[in-house]
Amino acid sequence: MLLRLPPSLHYPITITSLLKKEGDDVEKDEALLWYVYEAVNEELDLWGVLKPVLRKYPTRFESTVDGQIGEWKISKGDVIHGPVDVVEITEPCAHEVQFGGMCAECGKDMTESSYNTEVMDSVRAPIHMSHDNTTLTVSQKEATRVEEDAKRRLLASRRLSLVVDLDQTIIHATVDPTVGEWKEDKDNPNYEALKNVRQFRLIDDGPGMRGCWYYIKLRPGLEDFLQNVAELYELHIYTMGTRAYAQNIADIIDPTRKLFGDRILSRDESGSLTAKNLQRLFPVDTKMVVIIDDRGDVWRWNQNLIKVSPYDFFVGIGDINSSFLPQKQELGATNKAALKAAKTEAKEHNVNGTAEQPADENQVSALEQLVTMGGGDNPRLLQEQTNAQEETILHQVEDRPLLQKQKELDAEDDASADSSESTSSIDEPLENRQRHHLLEDHDRELFQLQARLEQVHLQFFEEYDKRRSSELGGRVAALRGEKPTFKDKDVDLKLVPDVKEIMPQIKSRILGGIVVVFSGVLPLGTDTQNADISLWAKTFGIVIASKINRRTTHLVAGRNRTAKVREATRYPDLKIVTTQWLLDCLTNWRHLDEEPYLLPVHPDDRGELLSPGSRELAETSWLSSSDEATGSVLTDDDGNQESEDLFKDTGLDSTSPIGYDEDEQAAVHDELKEFLGSDDESESDTDAWGEEPAAASKKRKRGEGNDGADDEESIEDEDEDQQGSRLSQRIKRSYERSTGLREVSSVAPVEQQERDDKVETGDRPDDGYPENPDEDEDDLEREMLAAFEDDEYDENPEETTENV
Amino acid sequence: MFFLKEEAKVITLHPSYFGPNMREYLITRLNEEEEGRCTGDHFVICVMDMVDIGEGRVIPSSGHAEYTIKYRAIIWKPFRGETVDAIVTSVKPTGIFTLAGPLSVFIARKNIPSDIKWEPNTVPPQYTDHADQVIEKGTSLRLKILGVKPDVAAINAIGTIKEDYLGPL
Repeated sequence: MLLRLPPSLHYPITITSLLKKEGDDVEKDEALLWYVYEAVNEELDLWGVLKPVLRKYPTRFESTVDGQIGEWKISKGDVIHGPVDVVEITEPCAHEVQFGGMCAECGKDMTESSYNTEVMDSVRAPIHMSHDNTTLTVSQKEATRVEEDAKRRLLASRRLSLVVDLDQTIIHATVDPTVGEWKEDKDNPNYEALKNVRQFRLIDDGPGMRGCWYYIKLRPGLEDFLQNVAELYELHIYTMGTRAYAQNIADIIDPTRKLFGDRILSRDESGSLTAKNLQRLFPVDTKMVVIIDDRGDVWRWNQNLIKVSPYDFFVGIGDINSSFLPQKQELGATNKAALKAAKTEAKEHNVNGTAEQPADENQVSALEQLVTMGGGDNPRLLQEQTNAQEETILHQVEDRPLLQKQKELDAEDDASADSSESTSSIDEPLENRQRHHLLEDHDRELFQLQARLEQVHLQFFEEYDKRRSSELGGRVAALRGEKPTFKDKDVDLKLVPDVKEIMPQIKSRILGGIVVVFSGVLPLGTDTQNADISLWAKTFGIVIASKINRRTTHLVAGRNRTAKVREATRYPDLKIVTTQWLLDCLTNWRHLDEEPYLLPVHPDDRGELLSPGSRELAETSWLSSSDEATGSVLTDDDGNQESEDLFKDTGLDSTSPIGYDEDEQAAVHDELKEFLGSDDESESDTDAWGEEPAAASKKRKRGEGNDGADDEESIEDEDEDQQGSRLSQRIKRSYERSTGLREVSSVAPVEQQERDDKVETGDRPDDGYPENPDEDEDDLEREMLAAFEDDEYDENPEETTENV
Repeated sequence: MFFLKEEAKVITLHPSYFGPNMREYLITRLNEEEEGRCTGDHFVICVMDMVDIGEGRVIPSSGHAEYTIKYRAIIWKPFRGETVDAIVTSVKPTGIFTLAGPLSVFIARKNIPSDIKWEPNTVPPQYTDHADQVIEKGTSLRLKILGVKPDVAAINAIGTIKEDYLGPL
C-alpha cells in the first residue's frame, strides 16, 4: 500500500529524518519519519506582553498499516507543501475479502479505529458479491478477479448471464385463498385453469405471522423455456420477494437446482428495496448480462434489460411483492406519471386511471400508493412499506378479490342469459349453461422471449467470433512460436462484445426510424419523454415527438377523436394506431403490420380530410380556425372532447372545433361546401347554420337526426338497413326518386365562388333561419338529398372520403 | 470452548401465573428464553440446573412479581485457534460458508489448500482437488477458527482448512 501524507498536516513541513530503511518491518502506529513545521503562536515575553512568535515544532509521522517498507518517495530535507506519497509498504494481507467486519484471510478486525486511522479498513472491500449473503464483502480487485474467472468460464461454454425476475415475469403468485378452494372444487369453472397451480406455505410471513399459503402459477411453457435458455445462459434469480419466498419458488421451478444453483438474490440481500441494481451481482462489468423483467423502471431502463409483458394470470392481483417498489405505471389508457414524480402523482392516478383497471386492482394500488418510493435507508418509511406489504397480503387473504370477480362475472352471465332468454324462444335450462371462467391461460410471451434471447445470444457470439478471429489472426503471426496460453485468455476478455451495444443494435434495426406522437395515451401534464412507455420505446430507437410534423410516422392514440388524431389525418403516410400496436411491437420485437391496429377514425374527424387537390383550401381553413380563438382547444388533448361533442350535437360535422364568429363561419361554409359537393339549395341553409351563438341551443335540437345523416354520407350507403330512423328512410326514398338536382351540381362551382365573396365582405343574405323545427328538418332533408345525389354522380366527394 | 457458567436472570411474572405451578412455569420460561441465545460473546447451549430461584418480589404499582434466578448453563465461546467441525452451507468463488453449530464461519479462498480448486461447472458447484476431496453444500469440514468478531446478536468467525488434518471429514 502506498502511504500518503494526510491533508490535515500543518503544511509546509520539512522532513528532518527517515527512521526506517527499505526492507525494514513496520508495525501500525510505529514512527516512520520526523518532520518540523512552523507556526505562529502568541506568547508572553519577558515583560508580560502578548506577542506573536514564529516557532518550529518537530513531529513524527506514524504508519497507518503493518508491513514491510518498500521504496521511499521522499528524502531527508525535503520541504513539502501538500499531501504527497511517502513510502510504499507491502502488507502481509491486503484485506481484500472481509466477512462480518473481519478480514477473511487474516482474521483481523476491520472496524477498529484509532487516532491514527485515516480510513477504516472496511472501506477496502466495499463490494457485495455473493447472492445470498450480505456479510461478505470484497475489494474491487477481488471482484474483478472473480468476475473474469466467471467470464472465461462462460465464454468457454459459450453462454451469457441471464438475470431473471420472478413475479409476473415467469410466474404469477397470489395469496388469495379462493384459489385453494377452486382447486379443490371440480365443478368450478376455473378448475381447469388452476390444475397446475402450485402452492407452498410460508410460516413466518403474512398477517399476524400465522403463515399463509402462496399459490403459484407458472407461465405457460416455463419448463421448456428454462431448459432451453439454460443452454445459452447462466441463470440468476433476482426478485423483490423475501429469501424464503424466492427459495420456495426456486424449489418449484427448479427442484434439482440444475438451472439456478444457488444464484438467488432476494430483497433481503438486495441492498435496496426500491430498485434493482445489476452492479449488486456484476460489480465490475455487465457486458455479458441480459435481464428479463416485467418492470423497466426498477432497473432504470438499463440497457441490458429485455422488458417482458407482465404475466397476469390471477386477474387483478398484480405483483404481491411490489409494495416496496415505486408505483407501477400502467401502460395504455391508465399510464401513470414518470418515476420521479410517482410520489406527487399518486393521487392523480386515482383520478385518471380508472377506466381500464379492474376495481380490485384499484383498491390494491390505492394501498400501494401509500407506499411511495423512497430511500431504503429511512427506517420509518421502511416500516411503513413493510406494513403496506402485510396489508396487501391481508387484503388479498380477506377480501378475496378473485372470488369477487368471479361473482361479478357470474352475475353478468346471468344478466345476459336472462336477456337472451327473453328475446329468444329457445328454453334453455339455467343449470346447463356454461359459467364463464375468470382465469384464462393463453399467455405466449415465453415462446417469443426465448426466440429473442436466442437472437441476442447468436448476435453476441457472432460478433465475438468475428473479433476473435480477426484479432488472433494478426496475433498468431506476431507471436508465432510463443505459447499463447495465458495471454490468449486475456485477449479473449478484451474482445468480449457488450450486450449493451448489441441489444440496442438489434432493437433499433427493428423499430428504428419510427417517430411517434402520443395522443390520449399519457395523462395531461406527464412528461412524455420520461413516461414508462416512452422510455421503453426509446430503447428501441423510437423517437418520441410532441407535435405532429412531416417526420412523424405514427400517431399512437389512446383515445379516438382527439385533436391530434384529426391533425394526423392530414398526413397521408402517417399511420394512426392504437396503443396496443406500440406495446405489441415492443414486446414482440417486431415491426408489426399496422393494419389490424389502425384506429378507426371517426367519420366526422375524417370529414376534414381533403383530397389532394383541395388540400390548400383545407389547410387554410384549418389554420384560420386554429390560429384564432380555438387555438388552445386544439393543442389541448383532453379539453376538446367536450367541444367535440357539442359540435357533433349541433349537427355540424366536427371537422374543426369552430367557434361562432364570422371568420369561422366562413371557414365552415367552405368546408361544408367542399364536403357536400355543390348544391344551390344549401345556400340558405348554411347561412342559417352560420347563425350567431344564440342559435346554438336550437341547433342542438335538430342535431339528432342530422348527425345520423352525416354519418351516412361519409360512409356512403353502407348499412342503411340498420338505420331504422325516420330520416334514413326518407333518404332511402330519395334514392328512388329522381330529382332535377343533378343538373344543379354543374352550376354550383360558380355559385360557391359567389358565396365565398359574399362571406368575405360580410354581406350575407338575410337570416333564413326557420323557427319551426319541422320546417327545419325539411330543409335539412333537402340538403341531404342533394348531398346524396352528388355522391352518386360527382367523383370528388368520394375521393375525399377515400383519401381519409 | 465449552464452559459451565453460573448466571443470573430476572424474570417478571404476571399475577395470573401465581399459584402452585409457579416454579415449573419459571423453569420453562428460563429454558425458552435462555437456551440457544447468543449474547454476542457466547452461545448458551443448555441450562443445566437452577442454583437458586430466590424470593419473588412484587413490584409496586403493577402487581407483577420479579424473580432473580441463578442458574448454571453450558455455554460455548468460540476462540481464535479453536478447531471445530462444521457443515458447509454454500460455496462461492470467494470461499466457503459453513455453520459450526450456531456459529457461521467463512473460509476464504486463500485459506483453502491451493490444490483444492473452485469448480463451478458441477451441480451443485464445489471445491475439489479432483481426487477424494470434494467440498460442496452439506459436506462436513474440520476447520480452525482464525478470528472471531462479536456482533449484536450473532458471532461471525473466519476459518481455515489450510493446515494439517483440516478439511473434509
